[in-house]
Amino acid sequence: MAETTIDIRTASPVRHAAEVYRRSLVAHLRSIVEYPADFWVMASSGALWQILQFAFIAILFANVSAVAGWGYHEMLLLIGFLTLTGGTTAMLCDGVWSIGSMVIKGEIDYRITRPAPVIVQVASTHVGMQAFGEVTLGAAMFVYGWIGAGLSPALIPVALLLLACGLVIEMALMTAMCAVNFWVKGTASIFGFILVDLQENVMRFPLGIYPAAVRVVATFVVPLGFASFVPVQILTSRLSAWWLIGPPVAAAATVAAAALVVRAGLRSYDSAGH
Amino acid sequence: MTHTLAVDRALAVISLKRRLAYKANWVFAIILGGGAMLSGLALWRNLLGDGTLGGYDWDSMRAYMIIGFFTATLAFGGADWAIADRILDGLIAVDLTKPMDFQRARAAEFVGSMVSTVPTAVVGSAIAWLVFSPPAPVSPLAGALTAVSILFIFPLAFEITYLSVLVCFWTRRYLGIMWAREAVLSFFSGIMVPLALMPAPLQIAAWCLPFPHFTTTPSNIYLGRVDTPGALGLIAAEAAWVVVMWFAGRLVFNHAVKKVTVHGG
Repeated sequence: MAETTIDIRTASPVRHAAEVYRRSLVAHLRSIVEYPADFWVMASSGALWQILQFAFIAILFANVSAVAGWGYHEMLLLIGFLTLTGGTTAMLCDGVWSIGSMVIKGEIDYRITRPAPVIVQVASTHVGMQAFGEVTLGAAMFVYGWIGAGLSPALIPVALLLLACGLVIEMALMTAMCAVNFWVKGTASIFGFILVDLQENVMRFPLGIYPAAVRVVATFVVPLGFASFVPVQILTSRLSAWWLIGPPVAAAATVAAAALVVRAGLRSYDSAGH
Repeated sequence: MTHTLAVDRALAVISLKRRLAYKANWVFAIILGGGAMLSGLALWRNLLGDGTLGGYDWDSMRAYMIIGFFTATLAFGGADWAIADRILDGLIAVDLTKPMDFQRARAAEFVGSMVSTVPTAVVGSAIAWLVFSPPAPVSPLAGALTAVSILFIFPLAFEITYLSVLVCFWTRRYLGIMWAREAVLSFFSGIMVPLALMPAPLQIAAWCLPFPHFTTTPSNIYLGRVDTPGALGLIAAEAAWVVVMWFAGRLVFNHAVKKVTVHGG
């Protein structure tokens, strides 16, 4: 099958980077297809986590009627939103988890010499296969919550915009956290794990259950709130439409912050020892 | 076969030292486990108020969450990848030539690595204890029996991990297996949500499995939700699971090891 190619001498830098990213990701997806059992094990484990997450919420609401004023379907919306953005992040930029090992092994050298942004090359080196299960179940929870909460179909474009912003925030924060490994040497992305832990343990509940300091930090310092809690509040009319400006601004800010961290990391990169 | 206790001890010490070399992991484990505990405490504080759910009030839930942190730190802290890598990298071919019992050797290493999580579990629990002042055990005997039930987590965690890692002989990959095991363990142990809040059929299903002994058994004994004969019965059930899963591990291994293909010459 003939593939379209672009001339790197004439293509715009953004288009060129996008094409490199697409090709790299597609190459990885092809390798996944070669090992179907591996894919199904990973996707099933991702789905299992979400099934148990759903069971957890169902058990909780069999015993209580609301969590900080949030009903069953609103909680499903929140967790579904969180799972969709988190799962899609694992699909689209799971390679950033390799920054630590690439720095230690000096494998960034190779990518610096290639004519494409380093972070684009690194991010597209891996696809989190568990995400296929997570996104499927996350979408199911989101849709079920949407219908149960009685949200209007007219809100779908708004939801798509908010999901896109949430995804950008997640990807940018994950990239920035994993890029800390440029300085904190180690194969494990400890700060990446902390971010995932924050998402899975703290952000899956309405921020109203936490002390004010936690709410402020989770919304304005590390703007995870704009990747799930604020969008769902907008969709369920708990916040006014004015808040719609928040997620795009937070997305732009986190992308800028991630770009700064990655650039600074690349400047400090001194390859592996010889 | 010349596998002696001295061999077990040597393997456990090596594994422990390997873990102790990475001291940042202690802080990291406190941050991760502590974060989960704090968010759990915030949730239950909000839900319980001055009332009770499933027989837990705010006082008993504080103790439950801290015990859950302690046991989860032990249960999830073992070097499971070290066993999986031996199978995935083919090192098992070398292990099979050594005068050692493969399962026993891995058990020694795993328990050694679990011991490295004890400082994290103790320090994290002590801080939580000072901050949240949970109630003391219902009696000194209950406290002692809680400690005994927690000791059983060492062999139980190894055996559940070992049985799941053996699946690598067929899947040739471990990450998905690990996540699936951790998901099931988190749910059915009561770490995610106390079993007492689950519908009856789910509770019965959970108690037919070894998982509740990771959090529900120690906390039930500690809080006096079971009397002394009940506590002894739960500990006996833990011991029975240890024996059953040990032999199940041997059975599965004897079957799985036939999948090993040694190349080269």
